[in-house]
Amino acid sequence: MHPNSPVELSVIVPVGSRHSDMSTLYAEYKRGVIECGVSFEFVFVLDGPLPVPTTQLKQLIADGERITFVALTRTYGEATAIMSGFENASGGLIVTLPAYFQIEGSEIRKLVEGLSAADLVVGRRWPRVGGVLERLRRRAFHGLLSQVTRLEFHDLGCNARAMKRKVLEEISLYGDQHRFLAVLADRQGFKVTETDVRQSEQDRFRGTYGPSTYARGFLDIFTVFFLVRFTKKPLRFFGMIGITTFLIGALGMAYLVIERLGFGRSLGDRPALLLMSLLIVLGLQLFALGLLGELIIFTHARQIKDYQVDEVVHFSGRVPTESLDRTSTSNITVG
Amino acid sequence: MSSPATVTPPRLSIIVPLYNEGESVRALHAAIVSAVDPIGVSYEMVFVDDGSRDNTLEIATELARIDDRLRIVKFRRNYGQTPAMAAGIEHASGDVLVTMDGDLQNDPADIGNLLEKLDEGYDICVGWRFNRQDKLVSRKIPSRIANWIIGKVTGVPIKDNGCSLKAFRASLIKQIPLYSEMHRFIPAMASIAGPRIAEIKVRHHARQFGQSKYGLSRIYKVLLDLMVIKTIASFTARPLLWFTLLSLPLGIVGIILLVAGLWPLTMANGSLLMPVAGSGVIFLMFAFILFCSGALGELVYRLGDMREQEFAKLTRRIWNNVR
Repeated sequence: MHPNSPVELSVIVPVGSRHSDMSTLYAEYKRGVIECGVSFEFVFVLDGPLPVPTTQLKQLIADGERITFVALTRTYGEATAIMSGFENASGGLIVTLPAYFQIEGSEIRKLVEGLSAADLVVGRRWPRVGGVLERLRRRAFHGLLSQVTRLEFHDLGCNARAMKRKVLEEISLYGDQHRFLAVLADRQGFKVTETDVRQSEQDRFRGTYGPSTYARGFLDIFTVFFLVRFTKKPLRFFGMIGITTFLIGALGMAYLVIERLGFGRSLGDRPALLLMSLLIVLGLQLFALGLLGELIIFTHARQIKDYQVDEVVHFSGRVPTESLDRTSTSNITVG
Repeated sequence: MSSPATVTPPRLSIIVPLYNEGESVRALHAAIVSAVDPIGVSYEMVFVDDGSRDNTLEIATELARIDDRLRIVKFRRNYGQTPAMAAGIEHASGDVLVTMDGDLQNDPADIGNLLEKLDEGYDICVGWRFNRQDKLVSRKIPSRIANWIIGKVTGVPIKDNGCSLKAFRASLIKQIPLYSEMHRFIPAMASIAGPRIAEIKVRHHARQFGQSKYGLSRIYKVLLDLMVIKTIASFTARPLLWFTLLSLPLGIVGIILLVAGLWPLTMANGSLLMPVAGSGVIFLMFAFILFCSGALGELVYRLGDMREQEFAKLTRRIWNNVR
């Protein structure tokens, strides 16, 4: 295979601190990708200085494998690693895979085949092995997520996904957003499906996670909540909390003042006065933050597009009515 | 085999958002053509398919095949009526844009009257469905209340904001940001640029096909949006001033409380009224933070692209003797 010929499928593997042996991983994935029956390339992105995978990958390249190897100088996070890989990927179809065994390589084909009816296919490890507590955690997380987004996904922790090129062209991932690619893509109007994939033998986790995992899960939900619901309407979020806080403070303050005026109860020595002042001020401040958010939206409204146009259909040159059966010169622009 | 495409852009664009209107799209096209052809202006139609799940797109594409004045903008999925309007406006190339509903409740025969008003010098002409053919309790009464509130908020007393049949100067409407659920309030939204607005009576027909798709459930959101926009639009160019004005009363309250809390100290064996003085400090600090927020707002305005002078350009007229 010529090293610079265009390929149909690019596999992006972001390599972070959690990674398996690169040569076995590559061998497993390559076997799976060959089954798809299309020309392919691999793009490995090293997220920070990782000497062992670096040596292993350089060896693979020296062996003549079609691998692009992108090394980032510091750790940026998986989303940025994926985007860096994408910049160096030429395939019309993109597959992202984790740098450790999560799914079996033979399942890659299922993901890619799913693209015939969708723009993004995310994997769901099923049947899944895990402890009771772990299963409960997962169910709570995805239940909450579907409450927030009204979308049914069961395994956003699965890093195996297949997508058409346009998905990553339109969605710029940053921070921890790779986990919500499915949600973001759906919001952008792409068709997203979930496919069951067989879990790798080495991905079986039977223990329990520490509290930090739970905290991160909760923060993730909050991020999605904010991304999905309020990025375009900040005042609805800040204003709602702000007005509630303000009202509590104002009512409390009114109560204190009435007690002072009507019943002669001294106001000057009551700490409740401080609390009410704080609540009033906090409420107003939140409201002001919401207004600032709205100001940002308003002053950038021309750059923000609420919609995605699939195509514009226009046939230039009118076909004479007597020759309707003939095909006209069509001028369809895809945007 | 076919005549060359017209190079000059049409004078008039008719924008129609379509959502599951497969039954009416053919009749709609025919009605527009028969109503607008006699006016004698060059025109185009922009149908926006808002992710319909029926055969709207197929039928519209068939029509586009035989009529090169028809352009179809297809959405990737259903986004709602405001984005559909915004997309139609973006893809229209006429000098005058007319928007209307796709359900045949508006009558294209009124388009000529709208255009006349624009020729008289108005920037926007809106339709008023004076004999509205809808249910009284669920649609007409809420709409009357909403219109009254909108008139109060925006200072643009339009009797019927909900009527989709409207005509705009393209140079104006293309610059007005439309987002969230603003389609009902395009004139109100456009009022940030101070346009000359006319309102004329238009016909309204009872629904022939299908269901009414956009109910009144969203009205509270819309009103909230409207107030936000109105507020933002009026303070956008001088946030520091506005935030400072807001912070002044709070600062005054803070000073009064602080003085009242410290006052007993001036008397013999008086003690500090801690909660009162503390409240004073809180209010003063907040006034200061609000002032800082205003400064941040100035920065945002500077970096944004919604300048008042741009709005002024949209509707201003200039008289002078320069040739």
